[in-house]
Amino acid sequence: MAKKKKRLAASEELNITSMMDMMTIILVFLLKSFSATEITVNPSDNLKLPNSNADKDPGVAINVVVAKNEILVDNKRIVGIEPYTDPDVPGQTMYKISDGDRKGNDVQALYSAFETAAKNAEGVANLAKKRDDVGFKGKILFQIDKDVPFSLVRDVMYNAGQAKFAEFEFVVIKTEG
Amino acid sequence: MSDREMPKEEPLDLVPIMNLVTILIPVLLMAIKSVEVAVIDTTLPAIGAPSEATEDMPDKPPLQLKVAITNSGIRILGANEYLYPEGRAVVEGAQAPPDVPCKSNARCKGVEDYDWADLSKKLVNIKKGAQADDRDSDAVVLMPESNIQYEVLVRTMDITRKTDGEDGMRLFPVVSIAGGSK
Repeated sequence: MAKKKKRLAASEELNITSMMDMMTIILVFLLKSFSATEITVNPSDNLKLPNSNADKDPGVAINVVVAKNEILVDNKRIVGIEPYTDPDVPGQTMYKISDGDRKGNDVQALYSAFETAAKNAEGVANLAKKRDDVGFKGKILFQIDKDVPFSLVRDVMYNAGQAKFAEFEFVVIKTEG
Repeated sequence: MSDREMPKEEPLDLVPIMNLVTILIPVLLMAIKSVEVAVIDTTLPAIGAPSEATEDMPDKPPLQLKVAITNSGIRILGANEYLYPEGRAVVEGAQAPPDVPCKSNARCKGVEDYDWADLSKKLVNIKKGAQADDRDSDAVVLMPESNIQYEVLVRTMDITRKTDGEDGMRLFPVVSIAGGSK
């Protein structure tokens, strides 16, 4: 054992300069990605966001996901979505809230979910009245799949409007230009 | 693993591997870089911001631009004097064709079939005309048909907001979405 120690001491020391280089680069990259936004987007086959040249950063708001198979409000599944075909639009699958879940434009489950979310947000806003940025302004962040028809978007917007939400922000994937 | 053999081994030179890793890690991090998201602001027309008072210029009501997105193309409403300064040919008994027809001249078959370049050109004309007439407005109301894909709606909002390019011209960034027809 004594022999080995002597040998190690004689050998060259490990050059850690390049490792430091690596760490520096990783650090820069991590810091860059750390400035990401607060909202989480989970793209899947059922939720593909459209591209846009918009450049406004998302703020804090109620998150609503309209995917091809379900609608989520604050990550809770509220109502399912079923595909159908419209004879007016051949070759394109349409999506809608099933007729059993709705009464005209009203979708009760969706409306109650929005109302609960509005109440919660208002509660938080009242607790923190002094801070403008957390006040309840009726803002919703929509993450909507790019293939769903406008009728579905309108249904969701209508029910959100009924529950005092008025400012809608559509989450999109930022493209250059 | 006898002690006698060990001393003969050269120390492992890690530097080339470290260099490789140094290159690899940024490349991998670039590849898995998460998507960058942004948001588009809209309001409901009914409860959106009221339009500016027009009392001081009664002759020149501000532009009230509406863009209807249909399956056969895009109609621009409320700005005919800029779109067709010489008047528009009206065919009796027939519905006027859309102001921006689809490239395939029939039912639009997807996002790329809409003539976005033409729409952008016409909106720039309208904006310039309205600015010259001192009745400029930032607002536009979008009226999509029920079966229009959401992607088309987003693209229309992109086009109506600003022109392409680094210093894109600001067009109509205040977007409202109207219910549209069933």
